[in-house]
Amino acid sequence: MPVTSTPYAPPPLIHFRRRPSNRAITMMILGAISFAVSTPYVFYRLWTEGHASFNTSSDVAWGAPIAFYLFFLLTSSGMSILASLDTVFGIRLFYPVAKRMVFLSICCLLAGFAILALEIGRPFRMLWALPFSFQLHSPMWWMGVFYSLDLVLLIGKFWLLHRGRLHDRITHWVSLASFAVSVAAPGTLGLVFGMMAMRQAWFSPIMPMYFILIGFTSGVAFLMFFASILPHDLTKDLTPAMKRLFSEALPRLFFIALLAVMGMRFGQIITNLWSNFEGMDAHWYALNSGLFWVEIIVGLLIPAALMAFDGQRRLRLVQAVAGLAYMIGMFAGRLEFLINGQIVPLFKGSWAGYVDYWPSVTEWMLVPVGVGLFLMLYGAGCWLLTLWDAGAPEHA
Amino acid sequence: MPRWGMVIDLEKCTGCQACTTACQMENSRLPGENWQDVLFYTEGEYPSGKLTWLPRPCMHCETPSCMAVCPTGATYKTDDGVVLIDWEKCIGCKYCMIACPYGVRFYAEEKQKTQPDIREVFPAEGDKVWDPPYKMPEHLQNPKQGCGIQPKNVVSKCTFCYHRISKAPEGTVDLDPQDPELRQFTPACVVTCAPSARYFGDLDNPESHVRQLIAEKRGTRLLDHTGNRPQVYYLAGEAPAIPETRSMRESKKT
Repeated sequence: MPVTSTPYAPPPLIHFRRRPSNRAITMMILGAISFAVSTPYVFYRLWTEGHASFNTSSDVAWGAPIAFYLFFLLTSSGMSILASLDTVFGIRLFYPVAKRMVFLSICCLLAGFAILALEIGRPFRMLWALPFSFQLHSPMWWMGVFYSLDLVLLIGKFWLLHRGRLHDRITHWVSLASFAVSVAAPGTLGLVFGMMAMRQAWFSPIMPMYFILIGFTSGVAFLMFFASILPHDLTKDLTPAMKRLFSEALPRLFFIALLAVMGMRFGQIITNLWSNFEGMDAHWYALNSGLFWVEIIVGLLIPAALMAFDGQRRLRLVQAVAGLAYMIGMFAGRLEFLINGQIVPLFKGSWAGYVDYWPSVTEWMLVPVGVGLFLMLYGAGCWLLTLWDAGAPEHA
Repeated sequence: MPRWGMVIDLEKCTGCQACTTACQMENSRLPGENWQDVLFYTEGEYPSGKLTWLPRPCMHCETPSCMAVCPTGATYKTDDGVVLIDWEKCIGCKYCMIACPYGVRFYAEEKQKTQPDIREVFPAEGDKVWDPPYKMPEHLQNPKQGCGIQPKNVVSKCTFCYHRISKAPEGTVDLDPQDPELRQFTPACVVTCAPSARYFGDLDNPESHVRQLIAEKRGTRLLDHTGNRPQVYYLAGEAPAIPETRSMRESKKT
């Protein structure tokens, strides 16, 4: 339902003649270097050694690449939920970032897909075998369905926002569907792990909710971090609404979400103290692992301490540090989560001992593949697309 | 249609691992890729330390969790109760390896535990993992049933030697390796077991030897609480329990 009587004339979708900003150029160059160095290396190792170039084994079936794409996919869902705060829930404060968050969500999703394609054994077979198998009882099948739908809906939503159809009926339904899928997708990803009764370190009914929550918090942390490192000449031109969003609303939202994540994580740690043999072994192993403490201290405690006081959390430097610390902590946390669930081998006898796993160079190189692709796509988006202007600006 | 199942008598099993070797040769497995493994457990301290072992094939569960989680339907259950993998549908996502409570699934694309890498010693043409000098005859290999030399980037597991048992004469109740007529249709691990600790037959037939053993000797299944309902039964005799779960921390102390 348009608010103004004058029709909104959308800008062209792609500005081929626009000069890219220095930030966009920096992002694209950094992304291209990162991608150009890592991708040929990964392809070479996969070509010559196959997936034996990973340090995975029949005991640790899922290695670090799964943790990496988990990070990207969950962050993408968080960004998409954040973009829905205006389009679905009518929280107009988030209107100025809605379109950008949709685009960021698409970039993150594609980066995650790229890592997944390089991790999985038969990526091309997956394209036909997965959609046409209708394995309704498999959480991974649903995960594939939801994330594919997510990409389609995000592209559709971006197009509608670009056309200035911010609050009309079609946009509302597309946004609603996109929001539902953005919740269902990380929730199903949580089920992929949480339903595994034989993996005590993962088995938990709260896992879907936990994944949705950490994804949302990652989305908020990501936006807060990038908004806080905007150059001064850009921030002085921001509208009052955006200034209020960046200096007040986002840090508060991040703090609240962070407390919820901490509560759920603390609950997990406590309940894991009452587990069976394998669960207890995995739990004590986690408590002795560096990654666990990076997650807890860097990812949760430091950001919480920085965000605890109102005057402090308005400072851009504090926001940048808190957002970055959370993202680093969650990255370590996902890796710890992946390893911990498999560290006690299933049914290998007591001679087998703990599984020895640390990612190989090829596995680590998938991080710059994902980050590089993300930076290139986002830099190109900043250059060629209109990301700040989400339709009729008078709505802000 | 029979519902094939196995009974393993732990009182007879000597832990010799002949079953492991026979399975490796029969199914062209890589070193360490033990479809039919024998697990060892140590407990207690000198002078009362104890060593126990447990032969562990795929359980070919009635309600297999590996099949439930497979996103492409590559893992399936045959009408005669065997859980197989269609190598032409498997995408190598390895979710089944995560979901199998018995750890019986394998992925060949990993660093080899023994050197030289046997795959480089006997390299294969095309898509196969390797080309061993001794291998299953071509006419018995069937990628749709996960039998034979596997292609790259797919998951593999014990098939109950489906290339043998599926060709058993109709109406067979027990596949007894002592019967010359049935020996070629009996799983390799059952044929080779020196103390005859393994029995293979139709779990649904009240007349079958496996069914009678389960009833008379209190056959028990591993991790029954998971709900997978294995079709491999163990006869533990007077032993208090099957050594199935042990704490790594506790065992490391010994």
